[in-house]
Order: sequence, then C-alpha cells, then structure tokens
Amino acid sequence: MIANPHPKLLSQPNRIARRVALDLSGVFLIALISLAAGLLINRFSARPLPLVYQTPEQRFDAELTSLVTAPPLALPPAPTIRLSEFRAAVENKSALILDARPAQFFIQGHVPGALNLARDDFAHDYRNLSGALKAASDKPIIVYCSGGVCHDSRLVANALITLGFTNVSVFTGGWEAWSAAALPVSRGASDDAP
Amino acid sequence: MMLHSKTAHDYLVPAIVFALAALFIYAGAEKISEPLQFADTIAAFAILPAVAINLLAAGLPIFEVGSGLLLLVPRIRRIGALAVVLISMVFFSALLSALVRGLVLDCGCFGTGPPSRPRMWLELGSDVLFFSGALFVYFRLLRSDSNASISASGFPSSMERTMLR
Repeated sequence: MIANPHPKLLSQPNRIARRVALDLSGVFLIALISLAAGLLINRFSARPLPLVYQTPEQRFDAELTSLVTAPPLALPPAPTIRLSEFRAAVENKSALILDARPAQFFIQGHVPGALNLARDDFAHDYRNLSGALKAASDKPIIVYCSGGVCHDSRLVANALITLGFTNVSVFTGGWEAWSAAALPVSRGASDDAP
Repeated sequence: MMLHSKTAHDYLVPAIVFALAALFIYAGAEKISEPLQFADTIAAFAILPAVAINLLAAGLPIFEVGSGLLLLVPRIRRIGALAVVLISMVFFSALLSALVRGLVLDCGCFGTGPPSRPRMWLELGSDVLFFSGALFVYFRLLRSDSNASISASGFPSSMERTMLR
C-alpha cells in the first residue's frame, strides 16, 4: 500500500469548500471597504446624507424650519405697514393675514380672518395652509406677531419671500397694537379665510 | 506542434465577465451620483430601518463598482463574480418581496425612473440573468483554478499551499 506523500493536503471537495470560504471572506472585505469609502465620499460631498435616513416629507420640513431659524440680525429689512393700513386690509379683506405667534396665543385671540402660520411650527403650519396660500396668491400677504420686539413676523415673512411669495409685508405693531386699539378679536383655532 | 483553436464556448466566460463588469460599474456609478434618490428608492422597499438605509445608499454603489472592477482583474475575478452573485440575490429578494406585497416602485437598479410594476418584473428577470451568469462564471473559474492548482510536480501552487496550511 502506498502512503499519501502529502498528508496535509485536503481532498478536492474540501479544497473547493475552502476556496469558496476564502472568496466569501474576500467579498465581505470588499463590502467593508466599500462601506468605508462610501461614507468617506458622503462626508465630503456637497449635500451629504445624514447618518439616519429622512423621508422627503421630513427633509421638506427641515428645510422649511431652517428658513425661520435664521438670526434676526441677518434678515434683510422687510416691508412694513402701519396700524391704519393693516386695519383697512383686515376690514376690506384685501390681504391674507397671517399670525406668526405660537398656536396657544392664536387660540386665545387673533385678528379676525387671520390664519395661524406659527414661526415655531412653521413646517407643519405651512403644509396645512399651502392650499389657502395658493388660493390667495394674487393677494398681498401681511404677517404679524406679538408686536414690540417680536421677530416671528419678520422671520415668517422672509421665509415666505424665499418660498416665492412676492407681495409680503409685516405689521410691526402686531397683536399688541391691535388689541390696544380695542379692535375686533376672534378666538379659537380656526377662522374664516379672508 | 498542434495549435488549440478556440471555440465559441471559450469566449462565453470572458463575454459574460465583461458584460457583467460593464453593467455593474455603470449601475454603481449611476447611484453614486444620486445618493439621495437611491436612499429614497431603498426606503420605498420598506424593508430596512431608517438607520440602515443611508449606510446602504452610501456603500452599495461603491460595492457594485468594486465588484465590476474585480471582474476585470483575472487574479481576483472569482471574488468579483461571487460578489455579483450575492448582489443579484439581494436585489432579487428585495424586488420579489416588493412584488408580493403589491408595492409599485422604482427598482433603482440602473438610476432612478418612474415607479412601474412591469418594469419591476423586468428587473426581476434581469437579476435572474445576472445571478445565473455570475454563478456560471464563478463555478467555471473555481473549477479551472482547482485543476490548475496542482502543478506538474504534484504540489499545489504557492498560493494554494499558503491557503491550506
């Protein structure tokens, strides 16, 4: 009987199995290298993907929200109107009035016919009001907030201009001036559109 | 001295290899240029959690290009073929699962396009072709490498010896 001269050598099926295992390790290594390279390319790309996926709706919301989170000092001066002009626009229903205050303040009291486009929930409110905003695209838009030093109306007005609305102005007196003049007030979450 | 004349069969493996390499390099490059759209496409399959989608969107296109390139390098062609087998299996499973669940989406296999169910079936068929072609190439290479690994002296090649230690 002739002894196997190469006892350490594996049989043909075992050799093939070892080769397949080695190839699978190679594929796994290539996959890891690809992942590392992909993350590196993404890191230095112009519009990198975030680590966790966001749906198109979430991305749109994030973009809308970013429009109203700019520091007030960086804003260009927005056109402003006085109480008399604002009052005329409200009474004649010649403009779309937007209240940029948070929803709880809007519910407590707002200018009749105004819609709530809160600065602190801009993305959500903008999507809810997109129909009304489109329908009133031929009208001027006037935005107000609390009045005095509030910047919400300017931020919302600026965001609307960025989104393509051209005739947008700010009533700087805001809710403070309106209520001080003892003008009509509406309460509740919804109101009739002008 | 007798010259060995090549038959059509001898050209089959190189033809499949180059076709698969070209397809996978093209498909990967298309996805690399549009990572956001590819991430949306992966999300539309509703299989992976949000934390895995962007990782796959970043890594898979490079993996496809890499697999295509590996197919072009004779010494490591087998790894490229096996990678294409595995990618095709993954694409096939994802597409079949989407079709079974009644989803209508863009496969995203070769760039983005409108969601279409007939196109999904077409892509499913393509995946079967890619899988079969790559598997055929892999086993041909595996067999020819096994036959070539025992040298005239009766010893395996140096690479094989290292592997079997």
